[in-house]
Amino acid sequence: MTRSLLLLVLCTLACPALAWSQNTQDVLKQGEQVFNLRCATGYCHGARGTPAGAPRLAARGFDQAFISDTVSHGVPGTAMSAFDKILPPAELMAVVAYVAGLNGIANPDLNVGQAPAQPAGPPLSPEAVRGRDLFSDSFRGFGRCSTCHEINGIGIPVATPIATVPADVQALRALATPQVTTAAFGGEMMPALVVRKGARPVVFYDLTIPPPVLTTVDSGAVDFSEGSAWRHSSVIRSYGDADLTSILAYLREVAKR
Amino acid sequence: MARAMKLLSIFLLAAASVYAQDGATHADWPSSGGTQLAWRYSSLDQINTTNVKNLAPAWIFQTGDYAENLQATPIVVDGVMYLITARDQVFALDAATGRIIWHYVYPPPRPGRPGSFSGLAQNRGVAVGDGKVFFGTNDAFLVALDQKTGRELWKVSVEDPMQCGCNIFAAPLVVKDKVIVGENGSDVAHHGHLSAFYMKTGRLAWRWDVIPGPGEKGHDTWKGDSWKFGGGAAWTTGSFDPQLNLVYWGTGNPSPDYYDAERVPGTSQGRDINLYTDCIVALDADTGELRWHYQELPGDIMDFDSAYEIVLIDREVQGRMRKILVHVNKSGITFVLDRVTGEFLGVFSTPEVQTWITGVTEGGEVVGRKYPEVGKTITLCPGTAGAKSWNQVAYSPRTGFVYMPINEICADITPNSQPPEEGGFAINAAVELKVPPGRTTYSHVDAWDPVTGKRLWSYPYKYLLLASVLATAGDLVFTGDPEGDFFALDARTGAKLWSFQTGAGNRGSAISYEVNGRQYIATPTGWQQSQVGAFASGLFPDQSWRQGSTLVVFALPEGSR
Repeated sequence: MTRSLLLLVLCTLACPALAWSQNTQDVLKQGEQVFNLRCATGYCHGARGTPAGAPRLAARGFDQAFISDTVSHGVPGTAMSAFDKILPPAELMAVVAYVAGLNGIANPDLNVGQAPAQPAGPPLSPEAVRGRDLFSDSFRGFGRCSTCHEINGIGIPVATPIATVPADVQALRALATPQVTTAAFGGEMMPALVVRKGARPVVFYDLTIPPPVLTTVDSGAVDFSEGSAWRHSSVIRSYGDADLTSILAYLREVAKR
Repeated sequence: MARAMKLLSIFLLAAASVYAQDGATHADWPSSGGTQLAWRYSSLDQINTTNVKNLAPAWIFQTGDYAENLQATPIVVDGVMYLITARDQVFALDAATGRIIWHYVYPPPRPGRPGSFSGLAQNRGVAVGDGKVFFGTNDAFLVALDQKTGRELWKVSVEDPMQCGCNIFAAPLVVKDKVIVGENGSDVAHHGHLSAFYMKTGRLAWRWDVIPGPGEKGHDTWKGDSWKFGGGAAWTTGSFDPQLNLVYWGTGNPSPDYYDAERVPGTSQGRDINLYTDCIVALDADTGELRWHYQELPGDIMDFDSAYEIVLIDREVQGRMRKILVHVNKSGITFVLDRVTGEFLGVFSTPEVQTWITGVTEGGEVVGRKYPEVGKTITLCPGTAGAKSWNQVAYSPRTGFVYMPINEICADITPNSQPPEEGGFAINAAVELKVPPGRTTYSHVDAWDPVTGKRLWSYPYKYLLLASVLATAGDLVFTGDPEGDFFALDARTGAKLWSFQTGAGNRGSAISYEVNGRQYIATPTGWQQSQVGAFASGLFPDQSWRQGSTLVVFALPEGSR
């Protein structure tokens, strides 16, 4: 009886610790895997926190709050990204715990970095996902939408944000573009999207051929006239009707968010 | 008609071959590589082996932009120097005094894709032509400034950094009426390009995709859709032969770097795997059309880019005058090709420690290659940092030698099979850098005869050498080290003749020029805090190589010339 009681007491004391320890080891192992995939590229950090293209991380005396903050939010002006935008919370926590371990923190707080992700809104439909990929399809070179339009940070904001999504492919192709004028500059005429006019140097996009060229000239050196032979349909020729239908689906779903 | 054109082409080629082209600079330093032939050689000889001991600072210019360091090659045209900093500030300076003529500040760049190179701020130089100063930016734009005022004239997006995870570090190359630039990104899931824009308007003239798309020749050298993120970025500055009207550029490694199971077709063997990565390409300067290619390392799985500078020289090879090119691969293996046809002429290997292969055949094939395997750690030399970085070699027509900064460095590599995500890192390995055991010096400046493949002399250095080499007609070879010493070697013997402590590590590209009859030597200083500069710092933790962003300009004191 005494022996059984002793075993019970020991187990009561030790088992949670053993379970916690096992969980920590699993997290640290996952953290090492994430670190090796994402961080230890050589161009950034080295394996096991050794120095490489970025500084040594092992045995630096970092505390876990600093590690978590740096991993989560990055270091401005360097290639150290904000990994809270890249990694799922569990992986973020695991890699923070792993780097904490490299700094001698034997029992890292496994709640750090577990903040719930910001609600991202409803997922895109499969057609909108296809449209999103087509919108910025880099294999179309400068014939892709994102050469002139920016959505969710992807693309070059030459045009103003898309305020009204065309009803269908026909409307997209026939899109009126009254903001595109004709510039007379340097002895030639060119389709132009004016960014700034006035007494200061004039700034406009030369739309002669994609990609648009942001051009700065003295105010007296250029004349603009209404209208242009430029057509939206001419710069989206790489897309077929089905492609444009998907892109419109993407634009509609983004507009709802 | 076609036959007549062909005969005319042959005649022009024959006529061109009679006259060896001069790749030396004179009073100016007009292009990143000195001239478009990329010799990094000045014909000035006021400073020479006899009087170099008197060389002293003439003026010093601190840019005030201490991000990263000063990597740029200064450009000098008509007594004005054009210098760009890591965060794309451009200065026009009086090249005799350092007085600021104008100063342009690029606005904060658009954010790039997280988990890529996009956060880095680096710039390796401007190009000057058509009354304009051109530079690439950290957010992958190409910008043209007015050469006289520094006012922005045009700006065009070359790539979207939020999508490609890339930026432009290289100096553009002016070719006839165009300016050509490539973005980086062989180590992220991206595919490289070369883009040519008209200098006058900024409009696109042509674009060459490094990776062939569906239906294009070479597309079948890729497995499945792997071509989409196949790397091959043309991330340094190319060369131009005006007689042949050919632009030469080197391309980067295939991506993912250390994992090839998803990109190499099962039927691949021998040459031409994952085209046109790890290649030297010759493009028509007017159209961007590919004329020939030579793949240095077919099936590369070692991140051994072929992207570095290409030196165009005319030399007698086996009794016949040839138009050749000399190119150092990142592995340190150096290829010599006929630049008219791309014909292989010779090869030699520059690192002293080389474990990733057992050797190179006379035909240029690497043999005994070791392949990193997923999940297994392997130590290979040279490692991820390569035997040579982007810092450039120099060629002296007086000695016939190419002067090369070579490093001895290894890495433990543990590959993984992580699928690529567009614009994100695709190195696919955990990497730990190492120095090879049993050595006390880890780099050397070498003089190589590119025709015989013989090393004539070697100047050893205890750490790594990551600054470009400059050769002059004074039979001097200049370069700098991470400890801050900028020094001169005898071009014929390698003997050290002079050095000066500049106060910060050297990771830039020195030049020479002349104003009002006085020869100057200018070197950028400031140690790189990321990428290969950081690799070096990490290998020698007891060292503290200093950052900075200072141009130090030397000349012989009045009366000592």
